[in-house]
Amino acid sequence: MLSIDARNLTKEFKVYQSRSGLLGAFRDLLDRKYRVIRAVNGINLQIKQGEIVGYIGENGAGKSTTIKMLTGILQPTSGELRVNGYDPHRQREAFVRTIGVVFGQRSQLWWDIAVKESFRLLQKVYRVPEDQYQKHMTRVIEVLEIGSLIDQPVRKLSLGQRMRCELAAALIHQPSLLFLDEPTIGLDVLVKENIRRFLREINQEYGTTILLTTHDLSDIEALCNRVIILDKGNIIYDGHLEQLRTKWGDGKRVFLELERDFPLSILEEKTGGLPITWEKRGPKIFTAYLTSKEVSVSNLIAHLLPEIAIKEMEIKEATTEEIVRKIYQEGMVHA
Amino acid sequence: MFHIQIFIEYFKQYLKTRLEYRGDFFAQFATDLLFQGVNLVFILVVFSHTTNLHGWSREEVIFIYGYFLVPYAIFSTFFNLWDFNERYIIKGELDRVLTRPVHSLVQVIMETMTPESLLGVVTGLAVMGWSMSQMDYVWTMMDVVFFFLFVVGGVAIYGGIYIALTSISLFSDSKTDIQPIMYNIGNYGRYPVNLYSRIIQFVLTWILPFAFVGFYPASFLLGSSDWKTFAFLTPIVGGIYFTIGVMIWNWGIRHYRGAGN
Repeated sequence: MLSIDARNLTKEFKVYQSRSGLLGAFRDLLDRKYRVIRAVNGINLQIKQGEIVGYIGENGAGKSTTIKMLTGILQPTSGELRVNGYDPHRQREAFVRTIGVVFGQRSQLWWDIAVKESFRLLQKVYRVPEDQYQKHMTRVIEVLEIGSLIDQPVRKLSLGQRMRCELAAALIHQPSLLFLDEPTIGLDVLVKENIRRFLREINQEYGTTILLTTHDLSDIEALCNRVIILDKGNIIYDGHLEQLRTKWGDGKRVFLELERDFPLSILEEKTGGLPITWEKRGPKIFTAYLTSKEVSVSNLIAHLLPEIAIKEMEIKEATTEEIVRKIYQEGMVHA
Repeated sequence: MFHIQIFIEYFKQYLKTRLEYRGDFFAQFATDLLFQGVNLVFILVVFSHTTNLHGWSREEVIFIYGYFLVPYAIFSTFFNLWDFNERYIIKGELDRVLTRPVHSLVQVIMETMTPESLLGVVTGLAVMGWSMSQMDYVWTMMDVVFFFLFVVGGVAIYGGIYIALTSISLFSDSKTDIQPIMYNIGNYGRYPVNLYSRIIQFVLTWILPFAFVGFYPASFLLGSSDWKTFAFLTPIVGGIYFTIGVMIWNWGIRHYRGAGN
């Protein structure tokens, strides 16, 4: 079953363009100029029940707009959208009972009352039966380690404490689909780890589908096997994280410190014919760029030894973050 | 049924929050009382110069004012939408509201209600009671029934107009200053409409029907039959304006563009 099925999903906004200067302001009063901006440009998105998907893109790429359409906050301009079998905007009240939402920068909890009271209120709002609530929430509270926090009002909690409570609040009605927008923003490593472990657990145990937007790619590496990259309203990549790395990671870099110094030309001659370029970074210090997947590190070493002895060696692969940054900068045709 | 349950839950949470800030709670009380007192003094000052306004005695004008306080207090308890634009649109709280399975307007009303404003009902009843005892006027059982119907109608008129005005924020997040103007026009409804010019009377009856919130029903409850038909129209006008208000709200929600991040 598909959790999310979007076909040709589009959202346009009319933006009011103001003219400059005082005279312009007067002209605006009489004759307004509008410009249509396509925030999301006919995307197709199919997500199966039980998947954890990372949804990334730069600011203004259309990420939030997509999430707001998927959660029923905004009505799409055109295209077809089914989430958990509902039309999110038209059947909003029935639909939102099947999803959980955590917006990292906005609290879902009531600021002034104890977290526990917020949970109770949400229990009533979502009409969760008492025994089900007890059983489920006791577990959630235990795993997220928030038992000692829930007697305090939200305003007295630290960011990390609050985020864990937000997550618990989003799960009160056991949604089959969870939207997380920047869930680990500004959190320390231990809290991040706790949250990630918890998300993996509910995904495995209940088959909860999770759609995660984040700027922190380590979240995606830790949780998602599928990643979708959005740029200027278009999906520019949809596939495995691993594939992204092998396809767009620019091979390996090998940092070498040699026993003796050599001129660059000798090294180039030694590896002539191989797709390797050299750079000299100091006396005895070199970098070899393996520009193709064909050549391996052992291949490189085999060509250098025995004449050129190696003292230290470090191999570096491009990180997901570098790859994604490169994609943003250079753009990419649809994969 | 579900909405009543939810309503009670929100009310309990509200009380807990309010009691935590005790000072605020009492300050609000005092301000409300003072505000109503000033209005009453105004009426008394006017009548210290004259004994009769277009055929209305001092006690009658005070009665109309007292009546007006009742629907007005109920209105201000539940339609505290003054900072809707700031809080729900600009700060984006409406996004959260829209991800919960209760009608958005019901949620906003429950989150912004101020039950302490209900104190105005008590003040209003006291003012009415005092003026009635001055005039030796007694209600029949039917008057009591009508009183309830009129109050509900009046609250619906006020509520409908304010919901419609608040909905403007859903289409455009720029600030409008229309609400304070409305508030001032709304106050016209608490004095006899035959004091005003024809145009204002027309506006207060058919366009912004605030006369139905105060004057028309109150004059009927005073035993005057000159505006009887209008008085009986109160619940109908209330139903119409409230429905229009909610329809505009729903339309606005479909147009809502979301807060930027």
